[in-house]
Amino acid sequence: MTIGPAPRIAVLVIASTGFYAYVGQMVPQNEVQPPAAVVIRADLTTPEMVEVGRGIAEGKGLCRTCHTIGQSGALRFPDLAGVAGRAAERVPGLSALDYLAQSLYEPDVFVVPGFNPGMPTINRPPIGLTDQEILTVLAYLQSLGGTPTVTLQTSHRYYAAPAAPGAAPDAAPGDKPAPGEQLPLTAPAVTPTPGTVPAAPPPQPPGTARPTVAPPVSPVRP
Amino acid sequence: MNRKLQFLLGPVLVLVLFAAVIQTASWLMSREYKEPYGAPAATVDPTPRAAGLADETADAEAKAKATLYEEAEYRTFPVVGSRVAIWAVAQLHLLFAAFVLAVPLFAFIIEVIGYKTGDLRYDRLAHEFTKLLSVSFSLTATFGAFLTFMLIALYPKFTNYLMSVFSPTFLPYVLLFFAEAFFLYTYYYGWGKFHPLVHLGLGLGLNIVGTAIMFIANAWLTFMMSPNGVSDTGAVISVMDAVYNFTWMPINVHRVIANVAFGGSVAAAYAAFKFLQAKTDEERAHYDWMGYIGNFVAISAFLPLPFAGYWLASEIYAYSQTLGLTMMGGAFSWLFIIQAVLIGNLFLAANFYLWLGMGRVEEAQPLQKFVKYLLIAIAVCFAVWATPRSIIATVSELRAMGGSAHPVLGFLGVMSAKNTAVNILILTTFMSFLLYRRTGKVATVPWAKMGHVAQLGIFASVAVFVIFLGIYGYFVEASVRIGLSVPQVGSVLFAMVAITAIDIFLFRGARTAEVRWGRVPASSQYVLIFIAVTFTWLMGLMGYVRSGLRQHWHVYGVIRDNSPDAFTPTLGFATQVVSVTVLIFFFLIGFVFWLASLHERADHRAHAPSPAGGPGGDLALGGAIRHHTSAAAEMRGLPAEDITGRTKRS
Repeated sequence: MTIGPAPRIAVLVIASTGFYAYVGQMVPQNEVQPPAAVVIRADLTTPEMVEVGRGIAEGKGLCRTCHTIGQSGALRFPDLAGVAGRAAERVPGLSALDYLAQSLYEPDVFVVPGFNPGMPTINRPPIGLTDQEILTVLAYLQSLGGTPTVTLQTSHRYYAAPAAPGAAPDAAPGDKPAPGEQLPLTAPAVTPTPGTVPAAPPPQPPGTARPTVAPPVSPVRP
Repeated sequence: MNRKLQFLLGPVLVLVLFAAVIQTASWLMSREYKEPYGAPAATVDPTPRAAGLADETADAEAKAKATLYEEAEYRTFPVVGSRVAIWAVAQLHLLFAAFVLAVPLFAFIIEVIGYKTGDLRYDRLAHEFTKLLSVSFSLTATFGAFLTFMLIALYPKFTNYLMSVFSPTFLPYVLLFFAEAFFLYTYYYGWGKFHPLVHLGLGLGLNIVGTAIMFIANAWLTFMMSPNGVSDTGAVISVMDAVYNFTWMPINVHRVIANVAFGGSVAAAYAAFKFLQAKTDEERAHYDWMGYIGNFVAISAFLPLPFAGYWLASEIYAYSQTLGLTMMGGAFSWLFIIQAVLIGNLFLAANFYLWLGMGRVEEAQPLQKFVKYLLIAIAVCFAVWATPRSIIATVSELRAMGGSAHPVLGFLGVMSAKNTAVNILILTTFMSFLLYRRTGKVATVPWAKMGHVAQLGIFASVAVFVIFLGIYGYFVEASVRIGLSVPQVGSVLFAMVAITAIDIFLFRGARTAEVRWGRVPASSQYVLIFIAVTFTWLMGLMGYVRSGLRQHWHVYGVIRDNSPDAFTPTLGFATQVVSVTVLIFFFLIGFVFWLASLHERADHRAHAPSPAGGPGGDLALGGAIRHHTSAAAEMRGLPAEDITGRTKRS
């Protein structure tokens, strides 16, 4: 008895499809859940903020999708190991904390030489971290090669912490505004000091402006 | 069993089944709730069940009246859930739509060739391709309507939002759909009934309208991935910007090319199906040729597809690096290893088919000796492409390797290696085509030797250049490395164009051997079917990555997915869904093939003796087509030739 072409074709179709489904089972199986809501307690200490910030960086913040820690070689985005140490020297006139904050709120203003722009604005969708969540991420970044000093009362260029009754904003040592700079009074708008920092472009949602191939050069930071 | 007995038993069986249904229904009805038997009570109470039911109904009605209307955000689909249901229906709709858009494209081109050359084989071929369209068109529309209803029912809020953004595009879409139906059915049923130029005009109209429909639908889906023209809250600022978003044009181009590749492969599978069922040499010759043309169309479109894919990927990165990195370096990175297996198989199968096809041509032996080198090149490139950056390993193995990247193989897992592999793969397949094309041909132009040397020189220098750039990419910064893919792609395209141009002039007036269509092993036809399955599966997989890339967003960064299905499933689960969808598609396309083949079956009246030849002769196998080709030939003032298996190569 000979088998006709139709059953053979059916077997071939099922076998090929089955083979590809099998290949699909052989690769790592990860189910990616939507980022869970993060609750920032008002009484978090700085070490606790570092831990919370680490969790956000590895989860909701998507930092680790692109950035490595402790790797070298042909990297697509800057490695974060020791970033706290480099932060104070990256942009003249910008404190370490303000530089880190700028790289989250306005990432395209300064792009590390050798890399293309590509960092999303972290406080806008699709990532959309809150100012408090960003403070914890800043604490975590400070812990990478430095000593974390950020608290939930810390203000920076893009955020003014609500003043505690009878207490001034607790800016970390070394994070004082550079001469000529002033802290904005309202968050998150940026109030540049004339002559030192130009008016920053409003944060763009993804896709509203196409990044150029060449890294954009900050008008005041050649 | 003889037919008379079947004829008698049929009604008896129907009556028995009818009686069985009545009996079963009566039995089920008799099982209605009854009060258990109890001793008669002294007084007769109202039946508690009836009262209870009445109370329940009244309560439900009162509750419904008291409830305020609230728009549902999501509804659930039984058993598989809303997402899988939408996924499968959308995928089936897209597969049929791709087929319906692609077939007219190359049917039209083949018809133009037939008209220009006066070769009726092309006319018949184009008509045969078109035969597959009418049922596929109905299935496309049915799945489209099914998808729309499912979206409205299962994702009402999100669908409402999309409607609010794109409502200005709906009327043109519907009108174009009417125009598509008009052109398609007039094109098909009017074959041989109009002046050839009028018929070609209908084909052109069909293609323009079909492409326009696809472009509109592409605007909706690309907006979900790279929204534009709306505020942060989703309010519409500009519909034109929403349509012309970052990924719209790349998807348009990518889909046109991919549709042609997919449509060509399915049409080739149809030819293979017919070849395997063929009873005569003439049929085998025709379907072998049809399968070859279908596969030629598929692979010709497949070769530039990775370049269109590069463009799409670069636009995704340009829109959002996060989205791009999720695709290539995040949750979906392993998906591209599966893709590599699929594309590697496609290249291997396509080349294998060409190599088997060389046997059709006399004097093929001198070129067949090169096949082994091509096979080695393809196998090496396939292996490089399918090598992952991170190896799945045990903890001890990871420790021994010093990380998840293998100390040696890890270097093959990065984009520099993969870009190089895919470019060489394309170049090698192109060379296979070229070898097939020149099998049995001898160039007679005086500069033949120089032409061969020039072709070989271009091929070798481009191959070396591509490999050099691949290696160079390991030693430069990321910003430079990313840009290296452009000269790699550009040089391969240059080689393909330049070598083809030389080849055309080189073999003008060449001595050619006879092509014996139909003289190929049956295994070559199963290869065509395998290619069609792989293409279909690849489309399903890439559709998943394009859509799944948004992860927990309906509209990326604008409308968040709050449904229970907001998570990104495992790749294993995704491949299972794709596989089931592909199987359903092939079941349905098998039905389409079967329906299309009914055209050629003898009418049952043909069995009856007919005076003076009668209609039976006209409707016998291929009769309708012959009649048609004769009519077409008469219109063009050409003799109606018999189609034979032996043709001179053109």
